Amino acid sequence: MQILLVEDDADAAGHIAQGLRDAGYAVQHCADGAEAQQALAATQYDLLIVDRMLPHVDGLVLVDELRQRGGKTPVLVLSALGSVDNRIEGLRAGGDDYLVKPFAFAELLARVEALLRRASGDVQHVGVLRIADLELNVLARRVTRGGKEIDLTAKEFQLLEYLMRRIGQVITRTMLLENVWNLHFDPQTNLIDVHISRLRQAIDKGYEKPLLHTIRGAGYTIRLQE
Amino acid sequence: MLRIRSSTARLAILYVCSIVISVATLLGTAYLLTQRSLAREVDLVITTELDSLRDEFDDGGLDQLTEELNRRAEDWRRTSAVYLLVDKDGQRIAGNLSSWPALHGQSGPWVEFDIIATDEDPKIQHPVRAEIYSFGDMRLLVGTDVSERQRLVSQLRAATLWGIGLTALLTSLIGWWYSRRIAARVGKAALACESIISGDLRQRLPEDQSHDEFDQLAMAVNHVLDRIEQQTATVRTTFESAAHDLRAPLHRIRTRLEAALQGSQLSELGRLSMTATVTDLERIQRTLATLLQIAQAESAVQVTAGRRVDLAELARSIGELYGAEARERGLALSVTAPEAESVQGNDQLLAQLLANLLENAIKYVPRGGHISIEVGANNGRPLLLVRDDGPGIPAAARASVLLPFRRLDRDATVEGSGLGLSLVAALMRLHGGTVELADNNPGLVVRCEFPPAT
Repeated sequence: MQILLVEDDADAAGHIAQGLRDAGYAVQHCADGAEAQQALAATQYDLLIVDRMLPHVDGLVLVDELRQRGGKTPVLVLSALGSVDNRIEGLRAGGDDYLVKPFAFAELLARVEALLRRASGDVQHVGVLRIADLELNVLARRVTRGGKEIDLTAKEFQLLEYLMRRIGQVITRTMLLENVWNLHFDPQTNLIDVHISRLRQAIDKGYEKPLLHTIRGAGYTIRLQE
Repeated sequence: MLRIRSSTARLAILYVCSIVISVATLLGTAYLLTQRSLAREVDLVITTELDSLRDEFDDGGLDQLTEELNRRAEDWRRTSAVYLLVDKDGQRIAGNLSSWPALHGQSGPWVEFDIIATDEDPKIQHPVRAEIYSFGDMRLLVGTDVSERQRLVSQLRAATLWGIGLTALLTSLIGWWYSRRIAARVGKAALACESIISGDLRQRLPEDQSHDEFDQLAMAVNHVLDRIEQQTATVRTTFESAAHDLRAPLHRIRTRLEAALQGSQLSELGRLSMTATVTDLERIQRTLATLLQIAQAESAVQVTAGRRVDLAELARSIGELYGAEARERGLALSVTAPEAESVQGNDQLLAQLLANLLENAIKYVPRGGHISIEVGANNGRPLLLVRDDGPGIPAAARASVLLPFRRLDRDATVEGSGLGLSLVAALMRLHGGTVELADNNPGLVVRCEFPPAT
């Protein structure tokens, strides 16, 4: 997987690039917009990570140019501008996700993974989602484990559906807040943990194999651990 | 009584009244004086005439008087004089009147009546003023045609009334126009001020280059606004650059720490202290982000043209999000909201506002307490209330805790930045609403009132 990172802060770029390489991605780094334009023209990337505040040019211009040419490469916009308006601007310009600096590297990694998976079509769009003996029927709004019906609230159902469409993928708390609750700010408490632990009570308690796992320092994932 | 709120209109009315009264007094006096002097002149002519006729009588008796009367009566056309001498039975002896006029009860010596000239066609009535003098049992009437004088007086009266009327009309029109013009200018300035108060510091009072007092005032106010805008911009950019400049190194420190934590050669103590440092960094970063947000909300233009946000739905959704956390801490959280209650604004900012209030309540209300979110309306103004039965905030401190970094002394040991409520206040201001802290007997009630959704 080839990632192009456009970031003028050399130190931050170094750490991000190193982290992504450690996670198994090939990373090319450009420090400014002009360099990035050349790189984009020469190579087909799987993902573009672009900082908004580049010297001489708004990173969004780069994204806009890419989209104008019909480029479908997923784009993750990084920005120190964190207001809701900035975020909407970023997404409207063709960004697929928007991450506000400062962020934990685990957050970036999870977003990168999510974008790449989405681009490769690895998101379950079927009406009945399954993992091991857990089954979620989207249309019937029914969840069963081992054939036994599980009673969930509407939000718990949405939460489980979001996770089950992305089996094996690390989902951060912020991603859940953004996508399940549609909230784009960080609450100060461990709100999501409480909701996850209630969901875990409902689907894992009393079963031999746990499905909902906590990834320390990152988030959660649903998978069958062998 | 009619109460006029515009001071320029009041002033204009006062001016119109005083000008009209002055003009009326002036013209009225001139009219009365002229009229009186004309009347006096007529009387003087008649008396002089009568005196001279009396002299004729004294000189040459009845014959000379009769002769003189007949002679003078010939020139009636020229002098407009009227004469009549009658005997004791009222029979005409001499003069140019055919008979003694009907006096309708006037006893004299001064009388007024109408005559019709016999040699004129068409027959016109001529008003006459006359004096009667008695010689023994004869009576002599001497008068003059006063139609000319009366026409003059009535013309003078008409001119006076027209003058007063026109003055009233013109001054009223000018006063109305002028006060309208001033009201319009002040209105425009007031409108501009309102928009400045609501955060649009780029607004200016209208200037029209007339360099009159209003224009000078507008220019002076605009200079003040220029200065304020410049200073605000300086403070804001300084603050924002400082915040951004702090963010970058903080971000790098955090990235490095995280990278180091991934490594395996750390001692357990080093790992613990680095993890604690990352947690502290997160807090600093959060405080910085909140400060930036408050600054942005304080300097932004009100979101009057925002989208419609359903406050009731928002309360249910955020209530559900925090409900689990509240239960975990032994608190009961309830939501009371109607089907829908719309406000104009930004759903993310409003969600954050409510989240801040709930986080505060969850932090300060002891186990076993109750928190309730209520949505309603007060005279069409949407309301959002968050009540709790916790320790509350002393009345004296309620205003100050809305300011950044102000915390209660008793909470010194509780972790917090002292920014939560100031962000709430800034966001309410951004939405054109108000926030008020009050006693919930016991506990705290935070009352957010929004402008009616249009």
